[in-house]
Amino acid sequence: MGHHVFQLKTGRRHPCTPGWVTGAAMRAFLTISILFHLAVGLCPDLDAARADEATHIVFLTWKPNQPQAWDRLIERFERENPNIAVKRQIGPHSSTDYHAIVTQRLRNRDTSLDVFLMDAIWPPEFAAAGWAMDLSPQFFAAEQKDFLEGPIRANTWQGGIYGVPCYIGAGLFYYRKDLLQKYGFEPPRTWEEMLRQGEAVLKGENDPGLTVYSAQFKQYEGLVCDMMEFIWSNGGEAVAPATGNVLLDREAAVQAVSFVRDRIIGKAAPRGVLNYEEPESLALFIQGNAMFHRNWPYAWGLANAPEISRVAGKVEVTRLPSFKGHDSASTLGGWQFGINRYSRRPEAAWRFVQFMTSKASQRTLALKSGLAPARRSVYEDPLVRQNMPHLKAFLPAFEKARPRPRSPVYPMISQELQRYFSRAIAGQGADIAAMAKASAERIRRFVKLGNASLR
Amino acid sequence: MNTSDRRLYWILLFPSLAILILFIAAPVGQSFFLSLHRMIIGLPHLGVSFVGLQNYGDLFNDPVARHSLWITLIFVGTTTFFELLIGLLLALLMHRQFPGRGGLRACILIPWAIPTVVSAQMWRFLFNDAYGMVNYALFGPEVSQYIPWLAIPSTALVSLIVADVWKTASFAALLILAGLQVIPDQLYESARVDGAGPWQRFWHITWPLIRPALLVALLFRTIDAFRVFDLAFVMTQGGPADATNVLQLYGYKKMFVEGWMGYGSAISVCVFVMALCLALVYVRVVGRRLLEAEA
Repeated sequence: MGHHVFQLKTGRRHPCTPGWVTGAAMRAFLTISILFHLAVGLCPDLDAARADEATHIVFLTWKPNQPQAWDRLIERFERENPNIAVKRQIGPHSSTDYHAIVTQRLRNRDTSLDVFLMDAIWPPEFAAAGWAMDLSPQFFAAEQKDFLEGPIRANTWQGGIYGVPCYIGAGLFYYRKDLLQKYGFEPPRTWEEMLRQGEAVLKGENDPGLTVYSAQFKQYEGLVCDMMEFIWSNGGEAVAPATGNVLLDREAAVQAVSFVRDRIIGKAAPRGVLNYEEPESLALFIQGNAMFHRNWPYAWGLANAPEISRVAGKVEVTRLPSFKGHDSASTLGGWQFGINRYSRRPEAAWRFVQFMTSKASQRTLALKSGLAPARRSVYEDPLVRQNMPHLKAFLPAFEKARPRPRSPVYPMISQELQRYFSRAIAGQGADIAAMAKASAERIRRFVKLGNASLR
Repeated sequence: MNTSDRRLYWILLFPSLAILILFIAAPVGQSFFLSLHRMIIGLPHLGVSFVGLQNYGDLFNDPVARHSLWITLIFVGTTTFFELLIGLLLALLMHRQFPGRGGLRACILIPWAIPTVVSAQMWRFLFNDAYGMVNYALFGPEVSQYIPWLAIPSTALVSLIVADVWKTASFAALLILAGLQVIPDQLYESARVDGAGPWQRFWHITWPLIRPALLVALLFRTIDAFRVFDLAFVMTQGGPADATNVLQLYGYKKMFVEGWMGYGSAISVCVFVMALCLALVYVRVVGRRLLEAEA
């Protein structure tokens, strides 16, 4: 009953950011503090007084894991641009809760907000609603080429580009190389192989605390990420990107979901994963109680930190397994900078975004806070290569990372997917095919609603 | 009453009336107004269109909402029952004369004083499947026996109920204790003189006389339980499989996560109306009991 695990529990709340110091209580606290800030922001005198001194831009962010790296960048920006001051507002760490705050403000055409962060799944919504500024006049195609393709596509909507990638995330497969070596296994290529290896190791180790697999299966956004990886790696899809057809009730998708229920939950993974987000599932792995672990890039640093991890130095990372005859697939995550279309200082805001996503800044963010750069050229940087040799192992997953359904009404689709996935895998003996059919029908209505908003 | 009296009356009434209108009537009115419209945050160009009672019609046919209502009713029923039962026992205990009574009374109120988000976070740790104290208390080091309380639909709801009972039983106790303290000691003395045992004293004196206090506690607890949100938000986010997706959480998700302002408002209005109806019934009953008790 080590109490140090408690600290771990307060870690990342959502799939696509490297949160590390937050929890639901923190989340609530931040929500309240944001409301307070909003109230303060309404006071016109304060705003006017500041505007006299210098242009100030408001940047709505969340509390980063390594705030020093961000502080340093913002200081450097203010030094280089003495006439622009950056005022930071801290929002909730959970992607879903941050979304609620930022959409409320953008909906109200709140001009006191200039720059905000976007999760990989938001640009279509923010673009279609007219909240995020189309950056194609200044974010040139030549410049876009230096960024990884996944994040650029995530920010592109109807011919415009609505965000500049800050850092990338994708589902990675962490494994215990010491255990695999001991039993003479190569990292598994298929899910079946993972289960077979797991069974053999469990038999050999005879450790009641050891389980095979640890990942995120709570009813929240992360569940969509994890389940889509199973579905894609079986050749399935939820919503076809090109046509918008809903394929959730097709054989390939239903099979993958059934596999998770029948072979993973309560078998390879403890039943408790049904209430696990990233921090809990990572805790299981770094306590040495799971052989394989699915997580985002941020987990690398923590799994190899000897102060908190019992398996530091015994961890290796690769692409996720797939079903036989299909390709491995990772869900695309990561965050982008967006600019409020109603910003009163769009030039200053763009200067700031440009600075934060420059090669030098991305390098700083990589080296000082372990975030995976969205720019290709940073991966070639000698210092980055020397200090973060593991980044090279991440790259194949980044290059092929796949987007969750792209739609202006993604939050609705996601809620429906979360409900379906959770009901399908939490209850034994449920008729998954029938549930998939009903769920697909509802998602079809959402997709149609989203399409109605297209030009 | 003459005119100047009447004017004073209104002047004195004005501050509290203004607060009531500003903080209660206005938001409820706005929710009701929104609930008659179709308005989606993420699709602003669809505009705001008046749809009459369509949101309520949809709500009626929404299986998720029906499930949420059912979950909420189970939660309200069980938490209120156990809170009153435990509250009554605690109140009887606290009412007795014994050394350290003041300290005990203060201790019993601690759970009530802790903000729900904090205690919910605490219970989330206690119910953890890998290192939670609940499992440790039940099974000791037998890790293989550990139950993932928050991962199984049925036990997840039970966990929420336990957390709520722990927090608010003391509140019920406080209200019932107030009821106990107004019972004059002479009644017990004369009953004792007449040879009544402890059970008879309880059934014939204590029980009838604390019933008004019990009803007040019942009123507060049911209405409060109906509006449960924070426990589920912190402990489970409504999962697994929607097993703890209480009505208010569902409304919150519809409104602020998915962006259906009208539909989410319809859910809030329904919760409000149900709580209001309950309150009206209770107030009538409680009111009558109180009059009877005085008579």
